[in-house]
Amino acid sequence: MNIQFRLALRYLSGRKMRTALTTLAIVFGVLVIFGMNIVLPTMITAIKTNIYAASGQASLTISHITGNLFDQSLVENVLPINGVLAATGKMVRTINLPKNYFDQDSEKPDRVSVLNLQGLDLDNVQSVHSFPLQDGRFLLPEDRDAVVITQSLADKISVKIGDSMRIPTVVGEKQLTVVGLLFPRTLPGDEDIFVNLPYAQEIMNCSGKINLIEANIDNFEDQGKRDEVVNAIQERLGLDFQIGTLNSNEELLGVMDMGQMILNIFGVLALFMGAFIIFNTFRTIVLERRYDIGLLRAVGASRSMITGMILIEGLIQGIIGSLAGIVSGYFLGYGILRLAQEPMSAFVNIKLGTPVVPPALVGICLLLGVSISVLSGLIPAIKAARITPLDALRPSVADVNYRKQTGIFFLIGSIFIGVGILLLFSDQMSWIAAGAFAFLLGLVCITPAVVRPFALLFGKIIARIYHRQGIGELAQGNMARHPGRTAITVSATLLGLAVAVAAGTLVSSVSISVANLIKISMGSDYLLVPPSVSLWGTNIGASADLEQKLRAVEQVDVVSSLRFAESKVNENSVSVLGINPHDYPWAGGLTFVDGSESDYDQLNDGRSMFINSIFAMTVGAKKGDVIELATTDGRKPYRVAAVVNDLLNAKVTTVFISQKNMEKDFQVTEDIFIQVNLKENADINAADAAIKTAASGYDQFTVISGKEYSQSLMNQLQTAFSGFYFLLILLAVPSLLAMLNTLSIAVIERTREIGMLRAVGATRKQIRLMMTVEGLLLAAFGTILGILGGLYLGFLFVKGIGTFMPSEYIFPLSGVLAALIIGLSFGILAAVIPSRQAARLDVIRALRYE
Amino acid sequence: MSVIQTENLTKIYGKNETAVTALDRVNIQIEEGEFVAVMGPSGCGKSTLMHLLGGLDKPTSGIVRINQISIAEMGDDELTKLRRRKIGFVFQFFNLIPVLDAAENAALPMTLDGMKPDLARKKACEWLERFGMANRMKNRPDQLSGGQQQRVAIARALVADPTIILADEPTGNLDTHSGDEIAGLLRNVSNDYNRTVIMVTHDPRIAAYANRIIFLKDGSVIDETILEKKNDNNAGLVADKMKKISD
Ligand SMILES: Nc1ncnc2c1ncn2[C@@H]1O[C@H](COP(=O)(O)OP(=O)(O)OP(=O)(O)O)[C@@H](O)[C@H]1O
Ligand SMILES: [Mg+2]
Repeated sequence: MNIQFRLALRYLSGRKMRTALTTLAIVFGVLVIFGMNIVLPTMITAIKTNIYAASGQASLTISHITGNLFDQSLVENVLPINGVLAATGKMVRTINLPKNYFDQDSEKPDRVSVLNLQGLDLDNVQSVHSFPLQDGRFLLPEDRDAVVITQSLADKISVKIGDSMRIPTVVGEKQLTVVGLLFPRTLPGDEDIFVNLPYAQEIMNCSGKINLIEANIDNFEDQGKRDEVVNAIQERLGLDFQIGTLNSNEELLGVMDMGQMILNIFGVLALFMGAFIIFNTFRTIVLERRYDIGLLRAVGASRSMITGMILIEGLIQGIIGSLAGIVSGYFLGYGILRLAQEPMSAFVNIKLGTPVVPPALVGICLLLGVSISVLSGLIPAIKAARITPLDALRPSVADVNYRKQTGIFFLIGSIFIGVGILLLFSDQMSWIAAGAFAFLLGLVCITPAVVRPFALLFGKIIARIYHRQGIGELAQGNMARHPGRTAITVSATLLGLAVAVAAGTLVSSVSISVANLIKISMGSDYLLVPPSVSLWGTNIGASADLEQKLRAVEQVDVVSSLRFAESKVNENSVSVLGINPHDYPWAGGLTFVDGSESDYDQLNDGRSMFINSIFAMTVGAKKGDVIELATTDGRKPYRVAAVVNDLLNAKVTTVFISQKNMEKDFQVTEDIFIQVNLKENADINAADAAIKTAASGYDQFTVISGKEYSQSLMNQLQTAFSGFYFLLILLAVPSLLAMLNTLSIAVIERTREIGMLRAVGATRKQIRLMMTVEGLLLAAFGTILGILGGLYLGFLFVKGIGTFMPSEYIFPLSGVLAALIIGLSFGILAAVIPSRQAARLDVIRALRYE
Repeated sequence: MSVIQTENLTKIYGKNETAVTALDRVNIQIEEGEFVAVMGPSGCGKSTLMHLLGGLDKPTSGIVRINQISIAEMGDDELTKLRRRKIGFVFQFFNLIPVLDAAENAALPMTLDGMKPDLARKKACEWLERFGMANRMKNRPDQLSGGQQQRVAIARALVADPTIILADEPTGNLDTHSGDEIAGLLRNVSNDYNRTVIMVTHDPRIAAYANRIIFLKDGSVIDETILEKKNDNNAGLVADKMKKISD
């Protein structure tokens, strides 16, 4: 066996505790990356499929402009088009049920009055949708009168699997057998029932015909690519067909995409942190072993041999650590998915399944772990090679160059921090992320300089405390004599906590501001919700009649409606929403980015509009500008009265105008979304009944209480965030353990010193106390810096997120307190365990340690 | 023929006001098979001399020749090889690698030179047996006494058959008895194996084991004494000389 290899192995096995801790650092780094990469895609895939499935929306829908039936074979024309991933034909019919159809009881209100019959082509429908079943089985090609319904419908009409349910059809009433139950509907809208396409065609007397094609397309997120595909389809099918796209503005999806990005940033941070810890360990190894290395050099080891020896140690640890990290990352990922399953299924019926591990990921993690270990070892290894044989013969001169290096690092660090702060003013997410990095790096760089006076000061304080006990002088030295070591320990704490605090800030800020937005936007007592919220164009509205009826209800105070038209500004599609400037603030409401509540009046004043942030960004408009909107009557100039945001349209280019202007310029008088506020102290039950009666002729609307609706939206968000919290834990725990790790190494490193103190008469208790106090001070310093850094980082992240979704910085008070407690208790923990061990060491062994 | 030769060897540490002249134009010549002791008061430059002779440090001026070749022109790798093959070191402290056992420590210069570990170990064991360490081969340094550790260091210094052994206070850390043993060992090395041994010591009794003593003071050679073999008065003689120098 090669002598370097043998030495490396011996050092690794001879310093078991140290080796275990370093390897652990690598394990944590790899674990985070591996775990995150198996959890995230699994979660995101599950959520994406389920959003489409739950809302019954594929990425594209194709129908005849008249809504009439067309030939089933048209699906074959769509499939070969470039960019179309999958397509399926459907026969969808709304079945209006006679009164008391299911309950046969005229006393009770009907819980179901409309059903959406969907005939599915089982050959390909599942490549477009997923149908997560709660119970039973899905349809099979050979089924005839089998039906799959949702749990919520089953509850309403009291059926279970195996029961039959009747429906009216074109060819007379039919009995269907319920074979499977889907998860309950969470979004408002009509209940769907699913049967085989041939059977649907049979009972609707239209064999070979369909009225809807649904397709999933590639690069759905990219508007330009999406438009290309849409145009290609349009060309192929002709202008008799209309193509609807589901905008990529599904709130949850947006949140998840954003989440993926944030987590990637945190993943890189975790890696950075892992590398830092490994680097730190090797650095101390080299420092500690200077005598050995000098001796080896004296008896004939060349420089490259020394470098090689340290690198081999890194390699061995890298391989072992990465493998262990991958294995434990898998189990962690598996565990998190299992844990997340519960809240996920409770809120949005998402089944996560077991994590899928792409072989490439294993390869990448292994490569990443090993190369980072080796690279982190490189600088210390090269430094080690510079140790001369004379270093073996002289007493330690560590930290001699400290002052000089500190100055340089301080300078570099200040530059980094400056860059980080400057980039705060950017409104590009990627620049802000880069700024965050620069800032963290800067903090790490200036720590040594900041730590020195701190170390000196506290060294003196400690010396004073221990003065009477006779070991004052020695105790004082520890922190002040090794500012480098102090700095490294502090930096590790700093990084670990900064990452945790920033992540916490981000998650709480975004979730709280979205929650606030939901409350403001959905604050009314009752909502009349169309099937598709935010995809206004697909809805059929109600005439002003409905609004009149609602106003007539005794308990109603305010009725406010939304009307919709499409428009263009330059080449951008724009949603135009008509509001009643007088009522809207009372029932719904917008949050003002630039402007205030008083600006509502301006909407009545000639052609004025509010624009949302996305509009402001894509069109490049600001308050006071005059912009031409394409109307049915040519382009008309609209003046921007304010910049606003609301929840539903947050990710769509939207303008708000008065309903008067909408009627004049777009000839639209249809309400597509109505909000109702009750008078104070109104009789809720009576109001409920009256409103439902008023809305009874308008089956396209679902009447729900605002509270329920915002609750259901909140639940969806909660799901996304519950996933986040799990990932946060996944990230924070290793960071904190890494911090513990570094603190412990700092103590282990001093075994010899402790032996010396014991030899000159320090009691065990004194040693223990001294180490604990020191550990606590180190941790306190790191914690404070970490919290400061984390607050700044969190602020940056929130701002970054703010570039594409509403978010407002919220000071994470509880997060800061938690970080403080965690930081300090980890400090004690990290000092107590090793110092207890150190105190128990017998003096002779401690002195011979090296 | 001289194995080691210096010409106006000078070493100055630091610059300007803080400059310390550790060695001042030292000219010495040491022949093959000689056992030379270097003595002098603390801080007179003994260790500095050893470092320069062993190529561990560079002189400020002057020349060190080993086997007639000046080592000033040698690069780091060449010097490393020289130390590996031609020079054996014995220091006062930190002589051994803590994670290697006695035999492995002794075998280091050969394993570093690429020799098969088994072979290197066998050779190392032969030397250790000669030094009465037969039953301590597998012990780690922290399980050995100070004297035993120095024996391992001497075995290591000899194992690669170097021509020169440099020992800086090899007995400084040991009691009288162990010190005598180590000094005796070094004399045997020079007598029986014809190695050139240069040893720094403060102890006149230890110095008396040598053939020749070089006295240093303030960085200069101020005296040399050739000792008669096996004379019991040698130690007293050396002690007297040291006293005179110190005054
Ligand atoms: N690295 C250094 N930098 C500055 N001065 C040094 C250095 N090493 C040694 N000196 C000085 O050079 C002089 C000679 O030192 P050296 O170690 O050779 O003495 P010595 O004779 O070995 O002493 P001792 O018997 O105490 O070991 C001393 O005055 C010492 O202070
Ligand atoms: Mg000396």
